[in-house]
Amino acid sequence: MNQAEVSKLVSKLRINVPPTHRKLRSPKGPEGRIDKLRKTVTGLVKFERIELNYNRADEARQYTERLISEAIRHGDCHKPTMDTANFWLLEKELIHKLFKVLVPRYETSNSSYTRLINAPKPQYGRNIDKVVLELKGNPFPDLINNNTNNKLLIQNVLLDAAKQDYRQSKINEIAKNIGKTENAPLNESSKKPEAPEKPVES
Amino acid sequence: MRRQILCLSTKITHNSCTKALPLTRFLSSQEAIDRRYHLFTLEKKRQLDKVGRVEKIEVQYKGVPNDCTLVMNKGISTPYDCARHLSEWHTDTSALALLDGSVYWDMHRPLTENCTLELQHFRVPEPQQVNRAFWRTCSFMLGACATVAFKDTVPVKLHSFPGPDIRSGSFIYDVQLPTLKDWKPSQQELITLSAEYVKLVRQNEPLERLEVSEELALEMFVENEHKTRQIPSIARNHGKVTLYKVGKHVDISKGPMISNTKQIGRVAVVSVHKLNGNSEVNQLYRFQGVALPTGVIINHFAFSILTERAKKLNTVKSPIPKPLEREESESIAMKA
Repeated sequence: MNQAEVSKLVSKLRINVPPTHRKLRSPKGPEGRIDKLRKTVTGLVKFERIELNYNRADEARQYTERLISEAIRHGDCHKPTMDTANFWLLEKELIHKLFKVLVPRYETSNSSYTRLINAPKPQYGRNIDKVVLELKGNPFPDLINNNTNNKLLIQNVLLDAAKQDYRQSKINEIAKNIGKTENAPLNESSKKPEAPEKPVES
Repeated sequence: MRRQILCLSTKITHNSCTKALPLTRFLSSQEAIDRRYHLFTLEKKRQLDKVGRVEKIEVQYKGVPNDCTLVMNKGISTPYDCARHLSEWHTDTSALALLDGSVYWDMHRPLTENCTLELQHFRVPEPQQVNRAFWRTCSFMLGACATVAFKDTVPVKLHSFPGPDIRSGSFIYDVQLPTLKDWKPSQQELITLSAEYVKLVRQNEPLERLEVSEELALEMFVENEHKTRQIPSIARNHGKVTLYKVGKHVDISKGPMISNTKQIGRVAVVSVHKLNGNSEVNQLYRFQGVALPTGVIINHFAFSILTERAKKLNTVKSPIPKPLEREESESIAMKA
């Protein structure tokens, strides 16, 4: 009867989580899969930006998001969270990094903690999707730098000037119309006597 | 004609002033272009030969991939050569060089002393100067386009272009077409002009810079009375006139300009207006266009807004409104 709300038990992730997990084939079976993911999560927390295949990156991303959100939610005095961190981070100094560095960094963020960016594929070779997985707020230079928001870029200067020009023309138009509307009531008042006549005519 | 050029070239190579034979007949526009080009190349060669013994300078490069020191040749190496030491990306995208953090330098202008070097492309955080250089280059190329676009029967005399004003929405070149009265280009003709422009751009020519003496400049522009009238006022300060060359087209401009014509991407010549209220020069037409650098991707609708706006007459400093203000406005024009 008294069913708990799911969002109170598990923190809601800000990324898309597919309904089924990926198997990430390994001779060891499910355990091997978890080992792979632990290595990737550890690597991600350690280096903050890694390049890998899409499947593994997307899978590891979900675990990292979950780990960080748990850490933010419960803090470092919560035994189960500590155990989880201990399980996922193979290098133990990274547990300190998680609670001392990453938690303060993401506490106030309201988007996902990681970023997944498509990387170029090798021209000859196996056709596997490559991606770059990174923690947001890392110290490296941006991978995507299409900073087209710069107002000083030539296209923005041109468009801005065009916008201003357009507004000016509109303002001029309105200013003209104001002059007309001042005259208009006079016309209307002169026309008023005509208006009632119309129905009579019809 | 050939005799005349030969005479001029011997004079230049012997490093004397060019008081050449007076021209005995009218130059056709193509001949004039060839002659100017020939004189430009000769003068450039002479100036390079004058460098003499090669000395080395140290250029501190700042920027991606990492800061480094390049040892270059004094008076010979240009920022473009420095960029070639770095990567193809640097040579292709760099439009302007920034020396010592303050002086904007053409990519194809030889370096003269030890300096720090930054290469500027169109997406640097503060691209005002690069944009101005781009706009100026577009105006310059519009002059080149106007000279080649017309048939031989229509004489074309380039007048001048005002300094770059990007917010005005269009770049300009004022051209005198003495035989065309009240010419209003049709849409087809404008498209043809744009196509000629694109042809010039696709030649991927570098923009070369050269400073020449006043006498030589007068000699080069002997058939163009507007330029010959402007040259003394330009040369008044330093006694030098700065010329730029792209392909075979040579024109006066203060610079700096971008590195290569292939950095001009989308471009359209949108309108030609006749300038009125002008007693001295008849049939002066203002060519207007709008362009964006290579790699700027803009929605076709946004670009149509820009072209629509550029169709209006650009009223930036008509270079010859009244005889009194003429010299001043010309010097403004030549700051371009």
